[in-house]
Amino acid sequence: MSRHKNIRNLDPYAEELDDFDGGEFNDVSESDERQLEEGLVQVRGALEGTGVSVTDKEIKESLWHYYFDVGKTVNYVLSHHAPAKKPKKKPQSQFTQKVPKGTSGVSSSSSSYMAHEHICALPKTNLLGYFSGIGQGHGFETRTATELGFFRDCPWGNIPEHRRGKIVVESICPQGGLPGGSGKGSKLAALAKARKEKAAAEKMQDGEEKASVSLLARLASKTPAQAPTSISKPLLPPTTQEDKQDTKQKTKQVIIPEPQPEVEPKTAAASSQGLGHPEEPQIFFPILNDKSIYMPQFTSLLGSPSSFAVSFFGERISTIKMNTTNHGTFTISGAPTAAQAKAFSEPSPDDIVIAAQSGSKGLTNAKKKIDKPVEKIEAAVQAMAIDNTPIKARREIDVLDEFRNTKTKENANFVVIGHVDAGKSTLMGRLLYECGVVDERTIQKFKAEAEKIGKSSFHFAWVLDQTNEERSRGVTMDIATNHFSTASTNFTILDAPGHRDFVPNMIAGASQADFAVLVLDASTGAFESGFQNNGQTREHTILARAIGVSRIVVAVNKLDAVNWNHDRYTEISQQMGHFLSNAGFSSNSTSFVPCSGLTGANIFHGARDKLPWYHGPTLIQTLESSKPRSRAINSPLRITINDVFRGGIQNPVSISGRIEAGSLQIGDALLTLPSKESATVKGIEINEQGSEWAVAGHNVTLHLSGINIIHLKPGDVMCSPDSPIVPLNCFNLKILSFETITPMLVGIHRGRLNASGRVISLLESMDKATGKTLKKKPRHIGPGMFARVKVEVTLSAGIPVEKGNRVVLRLGGKTVAAGVVE
Amino acid sequence: MRLIKKSIERDMSGLVTLYPEEPEDMWHAFNLIRPNDIVRAPAVRRVTTESRTGSTNSQRVHTTLTVSVRKIDFDAQAGQLHINGQVTEENKIVSVGAFHTLDLELHRNFTLIKSEWDSVTLGVVKEACDAGERAEIGAVVLQEGFANVCFITEYMTVLRQRIEVPVPRKRVGSTTSYEKVIFTLPIMCLLAKRDQGLQKFYDIVYQSITRHFDFSALKVILLASPGFVADGLKDYIFLTALQTDYKPILHSKKKFVTVHCSTGHIHSLNEVLKSPEVAATLADTKFAKETKAMENFFEMMEKDEFRAWYGPKEVERAVDKGAVGTLLVSNSLFRSNNVAERRKYVRMVEEVRKGGGTSLVLSSIHESGVRLDGLGGIAAILTFPLHDLDESDTEEEETGGGDEKGKWEEKVAA
Repeated sequence: MSRHKNIRNLDPYAEELDDFDGGEFNDVSESDERQLEEGLVQVRGALEGTGVSVTDKEIKESLWHYYFDVGKTVNYVLSHHAPAKKPKKKPQSQFTQKVPKGTSGVSSSSSSYMAHEHICALPKTNLLGYFSGIGQGHGFETRTATELGFFRDCPWGNIPEHRRGKIVVESICPQGGLPGGSGKGSKLAALAKARKEKAAAEKMQDGEEKASVSLLARLASKTPAQAPTSISKPLLPPTTQEDKQDTKQKTKQVIIPEPQPEVEPKTAAASSQGLGHPEEPQIFFPILNDKSIYMPQFTSLLGSPSSFAVSFFGERISTIKMNTTNHGTFTISGAPTAAQAKAFSEPSPDDIVIAAQSGSKGLTNAKKKIDKPVEKIEAAVQAMAIDNTPIKARREIDVLDEFRNTKTKENANFVVIGHVDAGKSTLMGRLLYECGVVDERTIQKFKAEAEKIGKSSFHFAWVLDQTNEERSRGVTMDIATNHFSTASTNFTILDAPGHRDFVPNMIAGASQADFAVLVLDASTGAFESGFQNNGQTREHTILARAIGVSRIVVAVNKLDAVNWNHDRYTEISQQMGHFLSNAGFSSNSTSFVPCSGLTGANIFHGARDKLPWYHGPTLIQTLESSKPRSRAINSPLRITINDVFRGGIQNPVSISGRIEAGSLQIGDALLTLPSKESATVKGIEINEQGSEWAVAGHNVTLHLSGINIIHLKPGDVMCSPDSPIVPLNCFNLKILSFETITPMLVGIHRGRLNASGRVISLLESMDKATGKTLKKKPRHIGPGMFARVKVEVTLSAGIPVEKGNRVVLRLGGKTVAAGVVE
Repeated sequence: MRLIKKSIERDMSGLVTLYPEEPEDMWHAFNLIRPNDIVRAPAVRRVTTESRTGSTNSQRVHTTLTVSVRKIDFDAQAGQLHINGQVTEENKIVSVGAFHTLDLELHRNFTLIKSEWDSVTLGVVKEACDAGERAEIGAVVLQEGFANVCFITEYMTVLRQRIEVPVPRKRVGSTTSYEKVIFTLPIMCLLAKRDQGLQKFYDIVYQSITRHFDFSALKVILLASPGFVADGLKDYIFLTALQTDYKPILHSKKKFVTVHCSTGHIHSLNEVLKSPEVAATLADTKFAKETKAMENFFEMMEKDEFRAWYGPKEVERAVDKGAVGTLLVSNSLFRSNNVAERRKYVRMVEEVRKGGGTSLVLSSIHESGVRLDGLGGIAAILTFPLHDLDESDTEEEETGGGDEKGKWEEKVAA
């Protein structure tokens, strides 16, 4: 239990008490002697004729006990000695007999110390006996029987309520004074006292005090004569103690609520720190609702309550404030010192944290804790939820209508493809630079850095190649997504890697694109090498077409390397034109643009000086004229996940991907396949701009809630729960082969999806033109043929594809076939 | 495996006693033992005795049992072989006809009695007992965020662990403040996250390697990936081994070889094993030969499709015509429960050998064997082109299918 902490906290005072306590009981001052004598005479006088025989000593003791209150002493003596004439025991010795166990009392002894100075000023309290007991027992090492006896009564020892003493002490500031009880308050203490007095004055004016409060106030402030027994009587539960029946005595007892022994360690620990803070009432004043029990008042020592406290207690805290009396009341357990109180006048860091936590969990939860255990558990469960930030209610936007009505610029995504080192990234870097997306300073910086590692011509590419690996190797490895906008269109660049190892990434990029920009290296030999059988110029083009890109812009790059030779340009465009039409691009959806990424010719601005033979549009103009393909915004929602990441503290689960079909808005429920987990859309970002909705064709970032990140991986599909995809294990493909196909193992690619599978059987080969079956169950399918094959996925979960999806089959670094799911 | 005793009669029936020494021998045993064979092996049997009062007492008793095999089951991961059968020889503990599942144990003799030892099974015995150098290879086939840790022995490829760790892709923040994005914290964080993801991925692979590989026993450790992931992993492995002073790796530094392959899927092992770096070190091993043979087959199919045939019926016809130069058979075919079918394949292997051709029995749990299984388990490279090996086949099948359909109809009618 945290009482140990109390002890630790309060040890210094305990030591002070040590010095002091020794003399407390034995040293009866001269004035006390005199008072005793006077009292003895008076008592004797009062007892005359009652026939009670009492020794002087006993009377003196009683007097001492009652702080020289003659009337009470007489009462006491009469009640005790009339029948039995039993000599009165010392209070502490009475306690001794009922000692089960002594527990912590150091803090209480500290209050006893504080009280001692003013003991004479408080004749109404009968605490002396207690004090002596405490005084002897405050050190745990020397636990005397008396002490044990005393502490047996402590609330943690199941003290009967009537025995709970409220130590009421005149306003003092123990911290302010010098150790050893010099009694002189420091300025601080004086200030505190002044404040307390002021508060007391206020209190006097306040007539609306609660009953319990006023009782306390009266007890604390009224003279002994005015403290009738009746005030406290109703408060006191029946007692079982046979020798404590003295009602007078009872009346003097002021009950102090104590921390319940059951208090959880954690909160108790907090209590030891946060003493005097009204914001933890359930800890300090567990019986808060019980009017018979007073809350200790530290108000004078308190600063303004923390905001949390105010919100927590509302009215109550103000009441507490008003109850300030001249007498500081100290809880026995861990009495707060002025310094502590001061220190906590402002919310402590802990408080701030606690307040913040409870704020986030909802104050209601905190309040419920007190009420019912069930609610408490509910609240705890709610608090435990990882992400319970309120999800925006679905606003029921008619997305399609909204989409039609918005007059925003068009969105167009294009993928940049071509052989490795054709200058794709450099061209795009230049494009971004000329469009003003990247500023001069950045380019200069890149240039300097690139020169440092001996790749000076790569500085434009660095705009897109951002990872260290890509920069040091000079190779794009993954799709780089960038945005720029012209007057009419918002473009998204998907810069694909040209290296053959990263063709899967290129497939991912191309599957997000509306059209493609094919970059060709015009320099001698380079175009040819890219155009060979294994060159990526060829593979990328075929792949892009197979994935469904139907429009292509051919940028004949690096013309500066061939001295802007017109013949070279015509040669390349003729060869490519022929190839493209073979690959399935119609001539009116193909355009050729000569340019140079490094020099920037004919990209944003025309270059008449260098290209006098060219009169067509610049690259940018060509891009703008490329209308994106129509989008299936009316179909059920399909999003292929491109990347899964942690979008930040607010958005622990985010995905990015392209909406292939359908539309969505914030608050929509989505189903993830093949994991079959559902999620809710918490936020939508289009081109890093927040949006309420999105439609097919948008490349979006979705912030999700209600799903664990482990259920999402690149290549998965998110769809609407109403019309979900059924993940397939085995499906038929209508393919166009690029290599010889036999039953074999293949890699199945679709967007980011990259699964291992196998062709299990060849169903038929088909005529290219008519689609008629040429041969059933062919042994193998040669390159360039149409066929229907059966494909099985290795993983048992299947892959999320549906009829009409375009997939690519690859094996050994080669694209063997492209097909459509049937 | 050691051959302890072999006595085969003229009618090719007889017994062979073998002493398995390593887990791979279980694989050989799996290929030797067929249903209806008789196996005698040490066994542990729980014997329950009932006293007069009715209380039962069960004990585990070590004994030797002889069973007639009904079912066999091979666990490649654990290298265990479970043989289920009925007891044929009575002893004190069991009576004839009682069922028992034998778990063949290493370093304990077992005797296999077959009514017919064919050349293929005898070949397996010979191969298994060949005390040649064992080439064991550890291989990690990986790509970004995805790795297969496998273990390749002469006859098996065992996938030890499949690792999948999400590695964040490269991402760009907002375009509105592009300059800022490039140089300031957010993008650095993102990139750092990516690097973190990669490091985590490497670390998991490293942990897996150290757990699954015995570096001193392995001949080579292949790290294969597209791009630069394998190099990254290699650097990470050595760095970590150096930092943690992990001696086994530091001592076998030379064994690590990075190879290029096109994907991180396990079927890329085909590509890996035929790559020149690996071929040079493993030229004489069985699986390198198998891989090479499969490659030749596919090459031939592209070059001259009429000299490369696959599928049981086509190959059988080619064998009958004496055209087969190289016969590739997966040993899964010899494990068939159908004796006639088994005989058929054995006959084909023997024919080809007789005709001067080579016949290779590929292990079905090697990648090349898996590829062959995809082709129906049997393929042949012919010495001269043959057309129309499959034509009659389609007709037959159609008629066969018709028959079946007819039977089905009959049944329905009945």
